[in-house]
Amino acid sequence: MLTATNVTKRYGKTTVLDGASLSIAPGSVTAVIGANGAGKSTLIKSVIGLIRFEGSITINGADVAKEPKRAREMVGYVPQDPAFHSDLTVGETARFYATLRRLPAERAHAAVETAGLAGHVGKKAGALSGGMRQRLALAIAQLSDPPVLVLDEPAAGLDVSARLDLRRLVSEQRAAGKAILLSTHWLEDVPYVADHALVLDQGKTVYSGPATGLAASGAAGSKLFLRLNGHSPEAVTLLERMPMAGAIARTGDWVVVNCAATDKAHVVEALVAAGIGILDFRVEEASVDAAVMHLQSVRGGLS
Amino acid sequence: MNAVMTIARKELRDAVASGWLVVFAATFAVVAMILSHVQADSGGIGEQGFNRTTAGLINLCLLLVPLLALVLGAGAIAGERDRGTLATLLSQPVTPVQVLIGKYIGLTLAVWGAIAAGFGIAGLFMMLFSPLSDIGHYLLFVVLSGVLASAMLSLGILVSVFAGSRVKALGLAVVLWFVLVLAYDLGAIGFALAVSPSGRTLVAVALLNPAEATRLLAIMSIERDLDVLGPLGAYLTDRMGTGVSRSLLLTAILAWTAAPLAIAARGFSRQDV
Repeated sequence: MLTATNVTKRYGKTTVLDGASLSIAPGSVTAVIGANGAGKSTLIKSVIGLIRFEGSITINGADVAKEPKRAREMVGYVPQDPAFHSDLTVGETARFYATLRRLPAERAHAAVETAGLAGHVGKKAGALSGGMRQRLALAIAQLSDPPVLVLDEPAAGLDVSARLDLRRLVSEQRAAGKAILLSTHWLEDVPYVADHALVLDQGKTVYSGPATGLAASGAAGSKLFLRLNGHSPEAVTLLERMPMAGAIARTGDWVVVNCAATDKAHVVEALVAAGIGILDFRVEEASVDAAVMHLQSVRGGLS
Repeated sequence: MNAVMTIARKELRDAVASGWLVVFAATFAVVAMILSHVQADSGGIGEQGFNRTTAGLINLCLLLVPLLALVLGAGAIAGERDRGTLATLLSQPVTPVQVLIGKYIGLTLAVWGAIAAGFGIAGLFMMLFSPLSDIGHYLLFVVLSGVLASAMLSLGILVSVFAGSRVKALGLAVVLWFVLVLAYDLGAIGFALAVSPSGRTLVAVALLNPAEATRLLAIMSIERDLDVLGPLGAYLTDRMGTGVSRSLLLTAILAWTAAPLAIAARGFSRQDV
């Protein structure tokens, strides 16, 4: 169980994280979302104990500020841009970190194999690609099979296939009972990987609640551009009857549909089922900035 | 193996792999060979010749060991920070103090090894020209060089913790080396002589610099008569006594080892990564 209460970080008079709170139970995932400079990495580094902070963070009862070493025994951490000693090989790197955690060398070997790096054991860490470094970082984070995983922007720099692998890995770890905290600026990933979402803007929390709630709020919306096979009027009529479809517009040959990120496939399925062929399509996901503005306007409207 | 020794072993491996230590040992050995050769050519063989060559080596040590140790120490933490590996390291169940001590131990062993290798090769070569009668002094200089290296590594690590980047840390280390090794005689000692030209002031000034304290210890062990040091020598032998002087100088070097390391550990523990 990971609990953060009123975590605040100031640099002089500048507050970069302002009273963030979260609670992650075993077997659940919380995504921290925000644009660059929103305070995501500050929150993550606070959880790991890499920076000093105000407030309280506990990991399975261990206070991060008072017992950082004990707290870190229960955490596996993947930094935003994993860096390793470039002169060590993949195998040596894994063994080095396994030794630091007082684990046998076999564990290091197994973690490297699980991460799909068995064929690169003798390769220098400095020669690894970004994706491979990410996998090595994941292997090291899971060396001791810790109950808590903290992933800082794990999807950054990954291609679509690697992002899908990451989704699968997070899902597997959640099923294995891990409490997972991850930061991302990929809004569309959130409903698929996270149970809860914490949206930060300039250090302040603008949303904290279920990830599905974030999608439902319209913040994590998608714009679906569809070029149909001469059936635009029928398509618009059909889409207008679908509760999941938001604003619909026609631009030349294209029909533009606003919907939640998780409903894109349903829209396409409905069109195909109605016999409306799709000649071409593209998707425009909502940016984090747009989502934050949306959430702030909703909050402003409520207050 | 605990975390400190794991980090120490990694640091030792890195230091050896960097090639700096090999360059140091080779330079030291080559200069020693040249000194021995010159000594033999000038007819200075026997115990006296061994001593003169050794005195030449000590001067070389006082020049090179601080530079090597300060530079290696300066890169220890700042280098990890620049490469981004510090966050990965400190996200493990280790404390910043364990990381710092592990690095210090690893670097100390590496520099001691280089000093032993340099003196070892030089000693073997010198034995070709001189008898083994004064091996005690020679070993004492090896130990003094090691002690000086420990103090300078400590200062280097202090610089490493508080410098913003590796480049800044290395720059500061070189400035520190220049001040402590090259400019100290002219600057601090000259200033002390101008302000209060007493043996007591000069002893105080010597205690403020581990390289100077090491130089005095080396001279005290090699020279029977400390007149060569002027009022400082007279104060050390006549007023304080050789035994007390040696203890005081050694204590100063050890304090220069412990204090910067303690300040670095405290500062490092309070820093954000």
